[in-house]
Amino acid sequence: MLISYNWLKWYIPEVPEPEKLAEVFSYHLCEVESLEKIPDKLVANGEDAIFDINILPNRAHDLLSHQGVARELASLLNIRFIDPMPKYKIPKSQPTKLEIAVKSEKCRRYMGRIVRNIKVGPSPDWVVADLEAMGQRSINNIVDAANIVMFDCGQPVHAFDLDKMGGKLIIRQAKNGENLITLDNRDWKLKSSDLVIADKEHVLAVAGIKGGKKPEVDDNTKNIILEVANFNPTSIRKTAQAFNIATDARKRFENDLSPELGSFAMQELSSLILEMCPDASFEEIIDVYPEKQETRKLSFGVEKVSKILGLNISIKEIEDILKRYCFEYKENNGKFEVVVPPMRLDLTIEEDMAEEIGRILGYDKVNPKVPKVQDTWKPKQNEIYSKILWARQKLLNDGYSEVMTYVFRDQGEVEVLASASDKKFLRTNLSDALKVSMNLNNINFYLFGVLDTKIFEIGTIFKKGGEEMHIAYGDKKEIKETSLEQFISPEFMREKVLPLGSPRQDLEEHKFKMWSLFPFIARDVAVWVPEGVKSEEVSKIIKENMGDMVIRGPELFDEFKKGSQVSYAFRLVFQSCERTLTDPEVNEIMTKITNKIKDKKTNGIGWQVR
Amino acid sequence: MSEEKKQGKEHPLSIVINEAVKIFTDLGFEVATGPELEDEWHNFDALNFPKDHPARDMQDTFFIKDKPGYVLRTHTSNTQIHFMEKFVKDGRKPPFAIVVPGKVFRNEATDAGHEMQFYQLEGLMIGENVSVANMKWALLEFFKRFLGEDAEIRLRPSFFPFVEPGFEVDVKHNGKWMELLGAGMVHPNVLKNCGIDPKKYQGFAFGFGLDRVAMIKFGIPDIRLFYQGDLRLNQF
Repeated sequence: MLISYNWLKWYIPEVPEPEKLAEVFSYHLCEVESLEKIPDKLVANGEDAIFDINILPNRAHDLLSHQGVARELASLLNIRFIDPMPKYKIPKSQPTKLEIAVKSEKCRRYMGRIVRNIKVGPSPDWVVADLEAMGQRSINNIVDAANIVMFDCGQPVHAFDLDKMGGKLIIRQAKNGENLITLDNRDWKLKSSDLVIADKEHVLAVAGIKGGKKPEVDDNTKNIILEVANFNPTSIRKTAQAFNIATDARKRFENDLSPELGSFAMQELSSLILEMCPDASFEEIIDVYPEKQETRKLSFGVEKVSKILGLNISIKEIEDILKRYCFEYKENNGKFEVVVPPMRLDLTIEEDMAEEIGRILGYDKVNPKVPKVQDTWKPKQNEIYSKILWARQKLLNDGYSEVMTYVFRDQGEVEVLASASDKKFLRTNLSDALKVSMNLNNINFYLFGVLDTKIFEIGTIFKKGGEEMHIAYGDKKEIKETSLEQFISPEFMREKVLPLGSPRQDLEEHKFKMWSLFPFIARDVAVWVPEGVKSEEVSKIIKENMGDMVIRGPELFDEFKKGSQVSYAFRLVFQSCERTLTDPEVNEIMTKITNKIKDKKTNGIGWQVR
Repeated sequence: MSEEKKQGKEHPLSIVINEAVKIFTDLGFEVATGPELEDEWHNFDALNFPKDHPARDMQDTFFIKDKPGYVLRTHTSNTQIHFMEKFVKDGRKPPFAIVVPGKVFRNEATDAGHEMQFYQLEGLMIGENVSVANMKWALLEFFKRFLGEDAEIRLRPSFFPFVEPGFEVDVKHNGKWMELLGAGMVHPNVLKNCGIDPKKYQGFAFGFGLDRVAMIKFGIPDIRLFYQGDLRLNQF
């Protein structure tokens, strides 16, 4: 969610500088995705800072707004919060004939107010600037006022053109097949699970999600109905999902807002409209609120909170926090009973208070402590994991190298319903993928310096009857596959110590090297030398003349004696990270090496290259 | 070439998994394992995921065709539930501490940092007084032994349905902070769902992606390299 620093400052003038504030967010509230400085168009050379913060799901009830965040910061940092209420002039209300009928329990509160004699036009500069900071375009003063209220207090609100609709407002479930032309001119077919706002004849809006074209506020609108409502979050989410719509209003409604927020939002919206349209006449608010949100109490103990955090917290510290956060509370002997503020739908159990207190104090206050469970807890060896370790150890010792392949395949017995990939089946064996791996590695076997590629995989396979841990291993000739159970003979089970390696500490020297994507060229060179000449003497000459394209070698792969002479055979593998090497250029290098070896100046007699 | 038998090369993920498991078993954790194809009770319900939680959408989770109520596990946390259910059934009482290495699945498009299959390591410790302070000790001790003595950790507030309080844990390595783990104090509903009295017992859980840790430890640039069956990866 985007938060404007200057907007916050309006409520909390003592808020710390943006960089410091970013830290406060990170360690006491939520993650900061980004922090961007933008010009503040209202002030010469002014600047604003826009935070993109990830409000946590459990605080999305009350923190998807500037006021919410400002209140939280004021309490957290113990700084002044400027209450906006006295600034909002309450328009004197006229009697109203507005009728509202709530016919679905998915509407938890519906407040409506008729405002007459408004003048639709451009918004004041500050409104345009604030909306721009939120990445929004100004539309007209009425629509903008509604958006400002949402970004300010978190309550989505809406305005209908009173003269384009008939009679009373009805909040009900849609009829199957009923349709609505939306503000963006799409024709929506509604289902009975969708909640709508309607007049006697037509659907006017899909509740909380999309307004209809018919009652749209336009330049000629004179009289409007303001809507401040609270809808069931799951209903909102399902309908919005079905229509594939992601709006700021949806996000707030589906996160479950407190119906109590409505009164403030109506007050804020009304006074904003009064500010923009001083001649407007406000009628009384009709407020249908069948089941008032109940006041909840929550009990917790200083002892339990201290025990959860592993930090000794005093009664005074907790009282200090409760006061800063404006909780009503009673305390008796370390047992607290608090009245949960209506917006704090997240606070339901003792552990929630442990979190609240922990994050406010800061988790850096908690010092690491050795747990005492070791005295009574005696861990046992896990059978499956031990078998995997022994199997792997045996295969490695027998010269097999380990690979891992994908579980998802083109065919199989178990299928997934939807997948981001085109392979929708789970593997029924490891061998198929191991064969592919074998072919890949055989092409590269010169690079590994072994004569025979031997590989294995340990992993789960999935059949109709269930999953099973398998082992597959093999070489060029044959791949064998068996279950882990069958692979492990009883003698393994007598092993007491698991082959678990200690962490490697030599990693700075052994960082991963990405391989070249270009082909390599392997060449051999065999040399006859007199008995007594060491292979190192030959490889030294090769090294001095092989250039910088050799990625492996010279590697001595053959050695035999005939009479008074010894033959050494070396292998060189050439590869570039930037291009495909050509035969002629490698030939040239090989010729250079051969010539050096044959040259009398090199070693006195000149060796013979086979 | 020498006649002596050549040792095969281990996959880098196996190296990392075994090192991590070794440290945690040294710290007193028992290894636990669980199924990769899982029912929704163990993967979601018992872990306090509400019925309409977004993680339960098909866009995020692999559901199994013709087997309603079954998924490819999205985390190793399912094994917490299996372990605790059996533990209680066997008539045993906390404390206990387990560590769960295993493969998990997410239905998402792949790139250098994301795979549809990857490995997680999960830890769980429950007792009468197991606290956030104990969790800090376990994680700090682990990363000191795993990455080096200079490793540091810090907690930030976060949210997961199966813990309360919940944390994001950052780890400092080579002077750089990295967001590596999700963690928290096990939610009382999770203990209750397994038959453990949350009034009496409490504890912590944590989990992290082993592929990511292996990438950091070895300097491997792309998570997809782990599953190509290409031996050029086995450099360690």
